Amino acid sequence: MSGTQPPASGEPRRVSRISPFVHGARIVPAVLIGMIAFGSQWSAGVPGLGVAVAFGTAVGAGLLVAAYRWIAWRRLTFWFDADGDLRMNSGVWFRNERRLQLSRLQSVDVTQPLIARIAGMAALHVEAAGAGDSRLTLEYLTVAQAQVLRDEIIARSAGLRHDAGAAPEQILVQVPTGDLLKSLLLRGTTVMLFLLTILVVVGALATAGTAGLLVIIGGGLPLLTVFSEFAKFFGFTVADSPDGLRLRHGLLQTSAQTVPPGRVQAVGFTEPWLWRSRGWVRVSLNVAGVGTGSQGSGNDAYTENVLLPVAPWPVALSVVARVLPGVDVTALEMHAVPSRARRRAPIQFRRLLVGHDAHVFAAARGRVVHHLALIPHARTQSVRVTQGPWERALGLASVHVDSTPGPVQISGLHRPAAEARAIAEAQLRRAAAARTAAGTQRWMASAEPGNRAAES
Amino acid sequence: MSPDAPQPAEQQSPDPASAVGLQDRGAADPFAPAGTPWTPVSPRLATARRISLAITAVFPLAAAVLLLLLPAVPKWIGALVLAATAVGVLWGWWFIGRRVASFGYSERADDLLVTSGVLFRRLVIVPYGRMQLVDLAAGPLDRAMGVATVQLHTAAATTDATIPGLPPDVAAGLRDRLAALGEQRSAGL
Repeated sequence: MSGTQPPASGEPRRVSRISPFVHGARIVPAVLIGMIAFGSQWSAGVPGLGVAVAFGTAVGAGLLVAAYRWIAWRRLTFWFDADGDLRMNSGVWFRNERRLQLSRLQSVDVTQPLIARIAGMAALHVEAAGAGDSRLTLEYLTVAQAQVLRDEIIARSAGLRHDAGAAPEQILVQVPTGDLLKSLLLRGTTVMLFLLTILVVVGALATAGTAGLLVIIGGGLPLLTVFSEFAKFFGFTVADSPDGLRLRHGLLQTSAQTVPPGRVQAVGFTEPWLWRSRGWVRVSLNVAGVGTGSQGSGNDAYTENVLLPVAPWPVALSVVARVLPGVDVTALEMHAVPSRARRRAPIQFRRLLVGHDAHVFAAARGRVVHHLALIPHARTQSVRVTQGPWERALGLASVHVDSTPGPVQISGLHRPAAEARAIAEAQLRRAAAARTAAGTQRWMASAEPGNRAAES
Repeated sequence: MSPDAPQPAEQQSPDPASAVGLQDRGAADPFAPAGTPWTPVSPRLATARRISLAITAVFPLAAAVLLLLLPAVPKWIGALVLAATAVGVLWGWWFIGRRVASFGYSERADDLLVTSGVLFRRLVIVPYGRMQLVDLAAGPLDRAMGVATVQLHTAAATTDATIPGLPPDVAAGLRDRLAALGEQRSAGL
């Protein structure tokens, strides 16, 4: 604990008074780069003038933004209301009053964009699933404030006293930087991007000229996506706590995401071709409202649907066992498709499998990149059976189990038509049974309300 | 659930839906109704969509007439556009009939089934406890023709359970029933 105690419930609070300057400082580099890139021609006559103008403009723009954000800061308050829900009033031109039902909390993230990180500030993103925009972003708080507020939100959501503090956590996995780098290079898309870049560079050198340089820089850009993924997943750490999974990562912009227990809607394993000899796998998650970009503010880069960017299978399975207790992926009995499915899916037909156990429904697909998707029965939103004309001619149909939006899709492709329907109906029965058995949304409410630190 | 298990033949009882194109889907039909037959949607939906088609067809038609009237353009170009428009409208006219007849829904004890599609067929089954909201919508043309659309939403974006072409009173009744059932069985996420 940092020693900072959260204030009383109803008291309105503000984000840090430094935050306008952080907002201002964040746009300075972009303006500076823009000015230097486009202003280099007209300032060619007087040495140093261009640079001076560029700096002046950038600082001016930063101050303007800071001034506007200062007004916004004055108008932003947040507090916890009598029902224990998080409320926020904000907006300069349009007043915006938002209320987040904490019993439906899905994910809490503390992020630090590079500039904010230098200033020791952090942003807090709270996601509570609901129709429409159910996300609340508080920027910026000091790192200590952000963590205390994060713990308070989680404690309230869990049904504990608001000053219960942070739950003790246990680190499960740390992804080694070397593995991350190798895994990103050993992907089909990276190889393609690399070949494309070589093609562009050679082409630009052949035609030469100053325009060629621009082409080379432009051609190199696709490779930057690989670097940005590396920077995003750098230092990836998975920790477990009674409050759920803690995912920390980031090289320049850091992020610490907390996913409370029972919020994982689906889990997906992805094994690109070149990873298989090393036994590596990526694990993705569907979490309601996360990564769907419901708020088009451009700050969505923090939203994360990756549980493990790369890990050996045994490690991945041990982490997934925390997310989906009682599920043994290796023991799942998977069923193949009949050989006539070869005529619909000549490459992947051997890899088209479905199966289930007491807790999850599983579907696999993909020959070059292996995909395996798991959805807990209780998280089944709806089921679908689809059939295209070619499937129809072969007497096949596909069955889909719908999950919340995210990278994981659960589809049993090209099953015998009647079996597809039977799977759908059986999954509905399992889902209904699991829903009936499902517990409360406030996962700690059954425990003694009190200070968690004293309990453990 | 062996993959090559003999496929049980679904009972195909004569039902009102047969008259509107839901019949003839073979013994191993994954889109067979469950228990009660499919409730078809109103044929007025076809009328509404055909009017919409006719309105859309005015633009290529006008283009064809313009091309035929312009002296600088060879006549065969205009004729080609005219012929293409005619074929398109005729095909669309026929296809709208098939498409509208393909819609069907069925209310079971615990879930709602919606089927649709001619070439790409689909069946969506939504448990009542998973419904987050039920939309009832009708555009100006729909209102003039006396049809409305009921759409179910779950937390999944892929659910897409839309029933167009319901008479307004049926649609409102369905919406209210579904909303009540959804409330009663709501299961969080």
